[in-house]
Amino acid sequence: MIPFQFRLERRLDRKWWHSVLTPLLSVLAALAAGAVFLAIEGLNPIRVYLDLFEVSFTDKFGITDSLTVAVPLILTGLAAAVAFRMNLFNIGAEGQLYLGAIFGSWAGLQFADGLPTIVGVGLVLLAGAVGGAFWALPAAFFKAYFGTSEIITTLMLTFIGLFFMRYLIFGSKSFWRDPDSANFPQGKKVPESARFELWGNTRLHWGLIFALAVVVAVWVLIRYTSIGFDMNVVGSSHASAQYAGIPVRRTVMFALLMSGALGGLAGATEVAGRAYALDPNGLQLGLGFTGIVVASLARYNPFAIVLVAVFLGGLRNAGIALQGLPGERVPVEVSLMLQGAILLFAIGGEIFSHNRLSLVRTTKAVAT
Amino acid sequence: MTASPAGPGSDHPGRPAAIAAVQVTKRFPGVLANDKVDFHVDVGEVHTILGENGAGKSTLAAMLCGLYQPDEGQIFLSGAPVRLRSPREGLAKGIGMVHQHFRLVERFTVAENVVLGDPQQARFIKATEVEARVGEIGERFGLPINPRARIADLTVGQRQRVEIVKMLYRGADVLLLDEPTAVLTPNEVDALFQTVEAMTAEGKAIVFISHKLGEVMAVSDRVTVMRAGAVTGEVATADTSQRHLAELMVGRPVEVETRRGQSPSDVALSVQGLDVVEDGQKVVDGLDLEVRRGEIVGIAGVAGNGQRPLARAIAGMIKPSAGSVSICGKDVTAKGTKAARKAGLAFVPEDRLGTGLVPGLSLTDNMLLTRKRGFFVNRSEARAEVETAIVDYEIKTPSTEAQARLLSGGNSQKVLLARELANLGTPDGPQVVVVSSPTRGLDIGAAEFVRGLLHEARERGAAVLIISEDLEEVRSLSDRMAVLYRGRVAVEGPTDQLSIEQIGLAMAGVAEEGAA
Repeated sequence: MIPFQFRLERRLDRKWWHSVLTPLLSVLAALAAGAVFLAIEGLNPIRVYLDLFEVSFTDKFGITDSLTVAVPLILTGLAAAVAFRMNLFNIGAEGQLYLGAIFGSWAGLQFADGLPTIVGVGLVLLAGAVGGAFWALPAAFFKAYFGTSEIITTLMLTFIGLFFMRYLIFGSKSFWRDPDSANFPQGKKVPESARFELWGNTRLHWGLIFALAVVVAVWVLIRYTSIGFDMNVVGSSHASAQYAGIPVRRTVMFALLMSGALGGLAGATEVAGRAYALDPNGLQLGLGFTGIVVASLARYNPFAIVLVAVFLGGLRNAGIALQGLPGERVPVEVSLMLQGAILLFAIGGEIFSHNRLSLVRTTKAVAT
Repeated sequence: MTASPAGPGSDHPGRPAAIAAVQVTKRFPGVLANDKVDFHVDVGEVHTILGENGAGKSTLAAMLCGLYQPDEGQIFLSGAPVRLRSPREGLAKGIGMVHQHFRLVERFTVAENVVLGDPQQARFIKATEVEARVGEIGERFGLPINPRARIADLTVGQRQRVEIVKMLYRGADVLLLDEPTAVLTPNEVDALFQTVEAMTAEGKAIVFISHKLGEVMAVSDRVTVMRAGAVTGEVATADTSQRHLAELMVGRPVEVETRRGQSPSDVALSVQGLDVVEDGQKVVDGLDLEVRRGEIVGIAGVAGNGQRPLARAIAGMIKPSAGSVSICGKDVTAKGTKAARKAGLAFVPEDRLGTGLVPGLSLTDNMLLTRKRGFFVNRSEARAEVETAIVDYEIKTPSTEAQARLLSGGNSQKVLLARELANLGTPDGPQVVVVSSPTRGLDIGAAEFVRGLLHEARERGAAVLIISEDLEEVRSLSDRMAVLYRGRVAVEGPTDQLSIEQIGLAMAGVAEEGAA
């Protein structure tokens, strides 16, 4: 037998910096792992990483493009965080985002014409939130009252949402489809009054400010309101909630609907800020799924979500930009691969931030 | 006390006991679980370990089967000293334990479960051979079981048979049965006893763990009685009676200083004809109870006789199927915990961390748990309250914002009491105080502190109900007491007028014969 073995011991003295160091080291480890694959591709990993940083975070257009991608990621990240921190695993923000886009673009097309921008955009956002919550409703109801796994239901609903969205544009002459685009089916453009204003000559829009406001609102709700308090109790112990007379089912429903609404808002901001129409191909980017990564890396902290969303937004943005860079031909998948690797390392890193790894002798000596 | 052999011997000179523990001691943090315990079983004998919950029965059994190692003392197997490092090693040496909670894979068949994890099993399992042997063992010991049945399809009684067959298949000569009848119907109990007889006839040694006197008398040859980690007596069943065993089991409490209440006034808590049904079983059965202001009423009884559902029904956490609960004259039956609180109830549940306190929230937030909250949560008052409690109750915590899960048992109980007893003696404060297991798991200092608080609650005019498995605690704290047995009050009266025999027999469910 090997005289040594590894043993994980629970850390009793967790320091605050563990929770900062873990995500940072996870990112570094992911970059190191990614380097292996880049090298196999015949690319110089350091060169690629430097380019990546340069295109996303150095010049004005790079930064604003990264922030533009960060907008929906902040919202889907919040969607995941709000539910996950209560051990409710809504992994269907992707589908809730589609429904948010469908509802939002409908509101924009139907009502926004002639209204002031603030009202028009407001309607798009409101409808988007309703759409997302609507898509979370079946999962929330069955979870709260029958204990059905929300992981399964929210994931399945995502696919229904995806094909419903595609059907509205590619499969039918629906209200959303532009009747004038004969060759390639497209969504009808929403009026100007249903669009976020852009910042100067960049692609960044006011949706960023909106998303930041939502971050603050969610934080206030969780930290300072009674419903947030109830959510914290239910998230930690159903028995305590029952003891205190907090309605467990209603609170679970509320949390999942709120999570869905946040996912829906992500879809609505994409309509109002970037696509200006129900654009299935432009929305089908996995923004909802990436929200799970954002929330996990941010440890469900609303403010950390902003930072992580900007970082992952930049990574995503760079993936597209690098492909177009002359000479290097970096595959666009690199950024997705890195994103996946970061999540894996972050989850792995959690184990080490909660436990101490030690090497122990396993000789016959009896423990003292 | 019958003298137990000083060595690994038996009652039959020249023939060593099948298994023996000599002077074994086991400590857990803060608890002396077994204190110099002697125990032995002979070949072909049924020897029962009898005692209340927490008396140390399970710890002793765990050391006999290899789950724990004694801190001091020695285990002997057929007269030879052994060191069992794991249950697997114990089983390899012929010691099999049948746990109260079965360890079976539901999706596997009986035969598959029997060979699962058997180190002697060949790499390739011949299913037909295994099934034939399982069938043969079943027949020999009166354990009829279909080897191909899936565990998921079996009743609890049948599953227990599988556990026993599993041990016999692996060649166990010493079988430890941990509270085997707790989950069985009366008919299944009879069948089990026949199996026990068949096993002893074949020379197996049986260790039977129980707190039910009737069964102990019926099935065992000898009984070792434990209390508070120590052996209080070892007797042959033929030479004893249920009454004698009950006495050994509950013991004569050391006379602690008791402070009785002076003059109880009007009834503040009234429970009438309460029925609670859980999983189709009537766990509280037509229970009547009254607690007056200025008195402490104690509920005693062996665990699982309705204490938990009674407390939860009073607190409004579960709905009774019949009967009523009223607090300060207000009917709060099945109206929920908020209504009960509003009527004047303070409730400290037995599960402090996880029910009474939210493990993942700060002490400040826990202080707010049962308080009225507006749309926004106001923490400043609660924080000040925690700060006061930290000083007044001597709570050891890093800060008011530390998570409740980080506190020790004693400190979390103090936080809980600080919250529940706030404003005691004022019209806004609690009028009825229900506390489950007030001092369980607490060190002596904290326990004394908690008892003091309960006395104070009484002096200040609250009606106090304590529910505890610690009989001495109930006897020393309460002015009146009642013993629960199968969801009913088996005996009740002023504490000073109930004899220890009466209480012991009531706890064991033989009150009727005893009183006659």
